[in-house]
Amino acid sequence: MRPPPSPPARPSSRLASLAFVALLSLGSATACYLLRGTEGLREGLATAADLALAVLPVMVPALFLAAVIQGGVGRERIGRLLGADSGLRGLLLASAAGMATPGGPMAAFPLVAALAAGGADRGALVAYVSAWALNGVSRILVFEAPLLGPEFALLRFAASLPLPVLAGALARRLPLEGRVR
Amino acid sequence: MSAAAVIVWAAALVALAVVVRRGRPALRAAALQTGTSLRTVLPTLALALPAAGFLTVLVPDRFAAALFGAETGLAGHLLATLVGAVLPGGPFVSFPVVLALWQSGAGTAQMVTLISAWSVLAVHRLVVWEGPLLGWRFAALRLVASLPLPLASGLAAEAILALLPPGTVGR
Repeated sequence: MRPPPSPPARPSSRLASLAFVALLSLGSATACYLLRGTEGLREGLATAADLALAVLPVMVPALFLAAVIQGGVGRERIGRLLGADSGLRGLLLASAAGMATPGGPMAAFPLVAALAAGGADRGALVAYVSAWALNGVSRILVFEAPLLGPEFALLRFAASLPLPVLAGALARRLPLEGRVR
Repeated sequence: MSAAAVIVWAAALVALAVVVRRGRPALRAAALQTGTSLRTVLPTLALALPAAGFLTVLVPDRFAAALFGAETGLAGHLLATLVGAVLPGGPFVSFPVVLALWQSGAGTAQMVTLISAWSVLAVHRLVVWEGPLLGWRFAALRLVASLPLPLASGLAAEAILALLPPGTVGR
């Protein structure tokens, strides 16, 4: 089985999210000025500067690490790992593959459809999606660790590590029909 | 530099050694990808950090602590699950919001619950991507199977925090 090629990220959606953050920033700055005057603006910028000092020193190594993981884990490799392996082993493999899958929903969900066509059971598919969403290593490295601090990211990662396996085991027992279209 | 920053640097150096051993094309590809990510992340960060700073000023001091403070216990975790599930937008919207709440007195474990709920329940992603791409039957099964995960991650974080010396995970 060969998963479909990864669709390229749409530059328009990137621009839209940038515009959204710009609006959020402008709106909150305006509200700060109206409620607290220039003192409020100064306080907000001081907090932002503190954050930048915490974020920037780990930015380059974190992004490089994400790039290496992305390059080392090909989509074909994930497909081969996940065949129709069932039992606890299948859930563990699916969780590991989900954590290693980079990119947003446009990249991950077509892969799920391909895995389903290749015979992966619904428990493995649920474990895969949960692990990608909850513990996707590239999102943690690129966004969470720089913005909230590596300590927080490590804490949340450790606390969530076993959970996709639980979700997969739960999905196998739920009386719902989990057929992928 | 914090202990965790040292870990990130050490891991990046190990990755660099691995890539160098794989040869020049692999190193080139990793360097190019790092550059592409930096070009995406830096402009957004330049906008997101001020947003986080201003939001921190705007969130009243006792508001975040009263709703999500470390003392709110299970109620705080459940509210964080609900807010996280419906928080729209990508990581650059949600993380500044979480940061502002955290800086204004929300509990660390409650913020773990919120981010876990935002990432795994993600109602907006379910409606826009998961249902249409994978079918609503699968989306429903996955949502139901994932419902307990945010609370479980928050409670596990609370247990881990209790084992660590106070102040290890600071705001």
